[in-house]
Amino acid sequence: MSRASNFPPPFSARDYVAEPTDPADERIEVGVLIVGAGPAGLACAIRLGQLLEESPETAEKLGDVPVAVLEKGKQPGSHLLSGAVVNPRALQRLFRNRVRMDELPSYGQVPGESVYVLTRRAALPIPPPPPMQNHGNWIFSLSQLGRFLGEQAEAGGAMILPETSAEQLLVSHGRVLGVRTGDKGRNREGGELGNFEPGSDLVAKVTVLAEGTQGHLTGVALDRFDLRGSDPQVWELAVKEVWKVAKPLDRVIHTMGWPLRTGKKFREFGGSFIYPMGDDMVTIGLVVGLDYRDASLSVHDLLQELKTHPKIKKILAGGERVEWGAKTIPSGGFHALPQRLHAPGLLLCGDGVGMVNVPRLKGIHYAIESGRLAAEAAFRALQRGETPSSALSSYDDAVRDSFIWSDLHEVRNMRQVFGRGFFVGGALASAMTISKGRVELGKMPAEPDADQPLLVTDRDKSYPAPDGKLTFDKLSSVFASGNKTRDDQPNHIRIERRVPLEVAQLWAHMCPAQVYEVGQADDDGTVLVELAPSNCVQCGAITAKGGRLTPPEGGSGPEYSVS
Amino acid sequence: MATLVFLEHHAGELQKGSLGVLAKAATLGDVSAVVTGEGARALAAEAGRFGATKVWVCEDAEVAQPLPQPRIDVLAQVVADGGYDTVLFANSVLAADVAAGLAARLDAGLNWDLADLEIRDGEVIGKRPALQDSVYADVGWTSTPRLALFRAGSFDATPAGGGEPEVVDVSPTYAPHSTAVKLVAQDAEESSGPSIEDADVIVAGGRGLGAPDNFTLAEELAKALGGAVGATRAVVDAGWYPYSAQIGQTGKTVSPKLYVALGISGAIQHKVGMQSSGTIVAINKDANAPIFDFSDLGVVGDVHAIVPKLTELIRQRRGS
Repeated sequence: MSRASNFPPPFSARDYVAEPTDPADERIEVGVLIVGAGPAGLACAIRLGQLLEESPETAEKLGDVPVAVLEKGKQPGSHLLSGAVVNPRALQRLFRNRVRMDELPSYGQVPGESVYVLTRRAALPIPPPPPMQNHGNWIFSLSQLGRFLGEQAEAGGAMILPETSAEQLLVSHGRVLGVRTGDKGRNREGGELGNFEPGSDLVAKVTVLAEGTQGHLTGVALDRFDLRGSDPQVWELAVKEVWKVAKPLDRVIHTMGWPLRTGKKFREFGGSFIYPMGDDMVTIGLVVGLDYRDASLSVHDLLQELKTHPKIKKILAGGERVEWGAKTIPSGGFHALPQRLHAPGLLLCGDGVGMVNVPRLKGIHYAIESGRLAAEAAFRALQRGETPSSALSSYDDAVRDSFIWSDLHEVRNMRQVFGRGFFVGGALASAMTISKGRVELGKMPAEPDADQPLLVTDRDKSYPAPDGKLTFDKLSSVFASGNKTRDDQPNHIRIERRVPLEVAQLWAHMCPAQVYEVGQADDDGTVLVELAPSNCVQCGAITAKGGRLTPPEGGSGPEYSVS
Repeated sequence: MATLVFLEHHAGELQKGSLGVLAKAATLGDVSAVVTGEGARALAAEAGRFGATKVWVCEDAEVAQPLPQPRIDVLAQVVADGGYDTVLFANSVLAADVAAGLAARLDAGLNWDLADLEIRDGEVIGKRPALQDSVYADVGWTSTPRLALFRAGSFDATPAGGGEPEVVDVSPTYAPHSTAVKLVAQDAEESSGPSIEDADVIVAGGRGLGAPDNFTLAEELAKALGGAVGATRAVVDAGWYPYSAQIGQTGKTVSPKLYVALGISGAIQHKVGMQSSGTIVAINKDANAPIFDFSDLGVVGDVHAIVPKLTELIRQRRGS
């Protein structure tokens, strides 16, 4: 049986670690460089703004640009996508009394909730298991929240550099000095076009990687500084749509069961979420663990199938899809966290290092909290006017003392209960939550998603034909993500292009954006994988399943606005 | 409204896009035109046919080459001498540069990518497609002169039946930085037939053609119809046809009178680049292909069997 991991991509982390090459007077120097304008990075920028305002003498030491945030999307929020039902704790701590919860661009508090186990035609309500209870949490569009946080960060003095990818980690004598940004204006073959603009060395006193799931330089840094945790990181893939609907939805709904299969050999763990966004919008998404085995599984098409369920069709009746998107969620939990969250000159935050509470389906508040703590650690070091190798270790201590650590520790063995699961119902999971993690099940070996032996079924034959109203094909979905990436640019996806048929099928079905296609068969039993990289919405699934995503030209990818 | 239209010309002919903007402007009131470069004077009468009552011509050596900066000097002079409050451009690489430079020079507002222009209650209103062309936004200007750059294919170049225009020579003082750039070489991509933005007929090929060589089917049909060849992103990605022929969201937006789609499924990314074509004819063997939802004439069948016969038939008709 084939495994995707037997066909590693032509990628070496070493190629993305470099010494600065621009002459010293041409480097762009900033105080703190934050990579990624998401909840973690922007929380870090906002907190730094608060601290530097209180300490002008420290700000003085940081030069003309004390805080810079790099964002590869068109603007903050363009690449942000989540459920998102948010625990308000971290936002409240970040803003204190400066901004109240009801001043944030939210859709209010969770009005009520239901959990259903689905079969093809029926929906059996079950009481929400304790980890899934959402009383007191707030509904957001993460993309909208990102734009708001971006404005707050800029108001606090941060400089946001959108459409700029962080391509290489600048390291000199074992110390991170910043990043080199990606080139712009290259053609497919790498040649320079008329508008070619080379990348620049961005040099900082402290670099904070807050790149989110499958962060490119985060992966490079984990290898370069040998920080990987005891378990390999694993992911889930979420595909979601935002609908304008005729009738308001009055509660948050989670489902398990159909259209996923329960057979143990399939390893299909996941479920759906359906949240109201005000009176006239609904978000619906399906999440599936990427340790699944069936090469014909497509989360995109399963979501289309899910929408044909009578219960769900009713919610969407008379409505219209307004946006679509996809993203991976790190789900390795506590044991997959890096051994350390810092290296000389470097701090690591949020989803990039896997700060996600899988049974509770929450991670945004950990991202925000870790960004805030990173800001405080960086500030402390900078206030003393130096950043020796150990100066940033206070960040690790702060994270260990925070609710991030205690929450993740509490659910550290949760995934073993059901193999690994997004929606873990049932008594064991509840017992574990109620006992605050004292139920010890023993740690089971974890394996990377790409190591799962593949099987091929004909389930793709039963995906519903797209009707353009309720169900859609992948290309229409890519369009609905706002993606209009320039086609004539170098391929940013590293895969082994000659693979056995089932590996090619795995990628073709898995990718929700139709990047991969099974091409010509060779004489030796392999096939050629064809790529359409400009379809890519940078969800990161390929990195989990045997390839490696690198950042495309800045400004590429989806342009989410309400996801 | 005192309107001036910047006219571009190549090989002794005024560009269709420029003439479309001129013809549109003529429907809104009195309009002048400006033509620069070698042979400008000879084109004044043609500009008159499309509605210009006055044509400013500049044949100075400084504007002999297709460079934007000296033309900005010419336009700034014409706007001052003629007292124009509105300057219109049809989008092209050169026109976009000139429009942007003129906006900076005159500290004027430039609305770009417009698809239409109207006068409503005395106000000049531009129509700008937004949200991936799903809506038009009304845009205006808060000061004069108003500058506008129109999307290719926005207007038909219909002669307005005007008379002989007044021809006025203009020769501005060129700023030193305007003449600092020299064109050292110029190369043109060899192409037979009209460019895809200008063509009245486009024959576009998709993956349904089956193989790169089969693009000759599209080329032969285009030749018979006097049209240009377009391609979908999928075949450009696959290296079957050059990027310059790509039609769609991330390629060119076209609106010919006739669009023939060969083996094109009609993904939304392609649709948004050609949906405003006059008549859309699709040939595809998949009866469920989305292209049939927005084509005027759909043929379910094999392009390899149909197209050669169609081409032959058109040749016969045209030949007789």
